[in-house]
Amino acid sequence: MSIREELKKTIAPLAVNDRYPAESYLTVKPADFIPACLALHQLCASPVMMMFAEDKRATRSCFRLNTAFYSAAERHWYYACLDLPAGAESFPSLAKEIYSATLFEREIREMFGIELVGSPDHRRLRLHDEVWPAGAFPLRKDFVPLERLEPPTGQYEFIKGEGEGLFELPVGPVHAGIIGPGHFHFSVAGEPIINLEIRLGFTHRGIEKLMEGKTLAAGLELSERVAGDTSFAHGLAFCLAAEKIAGLTPPPRAVLLRAVYLELERMYNHINDIGGIALDVGFSFASAFASVLKERLLRLNEQLSGNRYLRGINVIGGVAQDLAGPVTLNPLLSDLNELEKILFNSASFIDRIDSTGILRQKTAEDLGVLGLAGRASGLARDLRTDLEPYSSAGFRPIVCTSGDCLARLNIRLQEFRQSSELIGRFIRQLQPGELTVNAPAPVAGYSLGAIEGWRGPVLYWLKLNEQGTIERCKIVDPSFHNWEALAYAAQGEIIPDFPLCNKSFDLSYSGNDL
Amino acid sequence: MQALTVILYLLLAIGLAPLLSGVIARLKNNLRLRAGQSILQPYRNLRKLLGKEEIVPENSSWLFRAAPAIVFAASLTLFLLLRTNSLLSVIFVLALGRFFLALAALDAGSAFGGIGSSREMFLASFVEPAACLVILVLYLAPGPAWSVAHILAGLALLIVVLAETARQPVDNQETHLELTMVHEAMLLDHSGPALALLLLAAQIKQLFWLVLLVSLFVPLTALLPLGAGLLAAALVIALIEVGIAKYRLFKVPDLLVFGSILALLAVAGALLGV
Repeated sequence: MSIREELKKTIAPLAVNDRYPAESYLTVKPADFIPACLALHQLCASPVMMMFAEDKRATRSCFRLNTAFYSAAERHWYYACLDLPAGAESFPSLAKEIYSATLFEREIREMFGIELVGSPDHRRLRLHDEVWPAGAFPLRKDFVPLERLEPPTGQYEFIKGEGEGLFELPVGPVHAGIIGPGHFHFSVAGEPIINLEIRLGFTHRGIEKLMEGKTLAAGLELSERVAGDTSFAHGLAFCLAAEKIAGLTPPPRAVLLRAVYLELERMYNHINDIGGIALDVGFSFASAFASVLKERLLRLNEQLSGNRYLRGINVIGGVAQDLAGPVTLNPLLSDLNELEKILFNSASFIDRIDSTGILRQKTAEDLGVLGLAGRASGLARDLRTDLEPYSSAGFRPIVCTSGDCLARLNIRLQEFRQSSELIGRFIRQLQPGELTVNAPAPVAGYSLGAIEGWRGPVLYWLKLNEQGTIERCKIVDPSFHNWEALAYAAQGEIIPDFPLCNKSFDLSYSGNDL
Repeated sequence: MQALTVILYLLLAIGLAPLLSGVIARLKNNLRLRAGQSILQPYRNLRKLLGKEEIVPENSSWLFRAAPAIVFAASLTLFLLLRTNSLLSVIFVLALGRFFLALAALDAGSAFGGIGSSREMFLASFVEPAACLVILVLYLAPGPAWSVAHILAGLALLIVVLAETARQPVDNQETHLELTMVHEAMLLDHSGPALALLLLAAQIKQLFWLVLLVSLFVPLTALLPLGAGLLAAALVIALIEVGIAKYRLFKVPDLLVFGSILALLAVAGALLGV
């Protein structure tokens, strides 16, 4: 029985929108909201993939709340939607029932000023109390940009560990090296970490607000700059959403080329992290070796596309240009084998990463961990399984079950090889043909673009108005789902092993902070 | 006359210590197939720091300001002890420098200083026994010689050197990861000339240990063999640093205890005359 029929038994939606392929929007009564989310959570076997609000006060005098779940079995996205009448902006907290809604709810609260009834956590995520005044909600349409930030209005409260011999160790957001700004608040008993709380938001640039009112071309440009190391996947997800709204189908050659670039992005990032893991345990020879491989991949990117980080390739309706040269990956693969030998023949290296930073499968599932980090903990989820051209290539995600740093390293090594195989296959499949389809006149509408970037699913929910400009753009980088997993993986480890755990996840600050 | 020789001798130590650091750094980079910086880079770093402003943490006391000078003086005293017969004092002088460095790190009141001090003291309790025993070998069987006792003592001393000079697999001088640091975590709050003094003190200490290591096998009066010995020791350290990952903190004592056992065997060898 399909999820829709199953759902009908208990919940009668007020309205259903099935206009776009693989997406169903079910508008429910306030009383049905929590039961509908719970039912979808179970039927889809999915965490809350996205949860976001829209300000529709101008047209419908309400805020609309969308909660997305993905059913891998049906390859279908289900949304539980709830209209909150303006003036009484509140909704019952879903986080009490489904943990993976927590961060989304905190985000909605600070960005829209919508109250959560009974939420376990009210703290702000990105608009830090120390600098951002109360009562200014940037994603409301009537928000007026602040002339200047006001004096501190509040103080963030960390969870404090208490007990004999326990002390607090605040680290960051300014670090000794040139890395992203994150504040890590440890409660430690000597070296062992009892609790870790991660506070982010220091690179918040207001991307979602900046998107509003932009044309598609300008929006695409911005999307490629949300997370610098995932430029291509972010741009692609944006394009997929825009194309779905316009009803465009990119030509087959463009679909294959996009997959080639997506895998190239995965490869250079994976090798970067393999080197990074080696560097963070001080195994500098292997790390130097990996950095050479990464540089060769970046140069290959530049040769093929003119850009080392694969920017400016995606356009709405296809790709801007063809491959500018041959894709030769074999020498890289033999060097990767060499690197793997160096790593796995080093007892001191394996000793550091084996069974360090374990993220249990149950924890990963409860937190809603996605992508690479989830696959290392036994969650066999990969959006590529369901997308062309991967599904017809018989794509199977690579999964490990031990959930430690070694598992995350192994996934990267194997995915690197898998990516190069896929690239070879896609290039053989290339037929001469068009690279883009012409965009028709602007169409209003809303839809989701989803693709598996190298960290995990990159999601763009896009809403366009009649002029074809962006009304609302909700972005979810997998880092947003996964940062908290790092806090759990670090529990019980010793402080000097934390940087290694951190690197093995390698999450994005800018992708999370938006 | 004697005072002049001593002063010249100390100036030579101060002058050459950064060079040794530069050589090791260069060797490491070349082993990683990189061009590497000039071997004179440590001198440039010191000059840069000497020209900078010194910033002192708000709540720190006189200890924080005095520590760099005390640590520097302790390092220099190590060199003086090389010329005397009271080598065992080395342990106390080392402990003196370490004590004040750790106190100053605590005095600054930052979280990393505390972590660094605690780790340094934890590791020192394993390094000192090995160092004591190696020095005992030098008393029992004065070198230089290529005997079993001396070779075992040399291996033990190598492990001591890795720990004392903040080298892998005990510590990592190149890392920017403040959470993994041992020695450098104690220096994080120092700046300008004070930091220069502390870095120079660490370089002098490094030179002292390597000279002591080489002196097991080569007479200190022969300059050319001494230089060759130091270069060989630098190469060995560079190879170790590049070739293995840093140990998990709680595994480092295993290595240091192994050093102590080697040193103990060396003492036995010295007593037996092999």
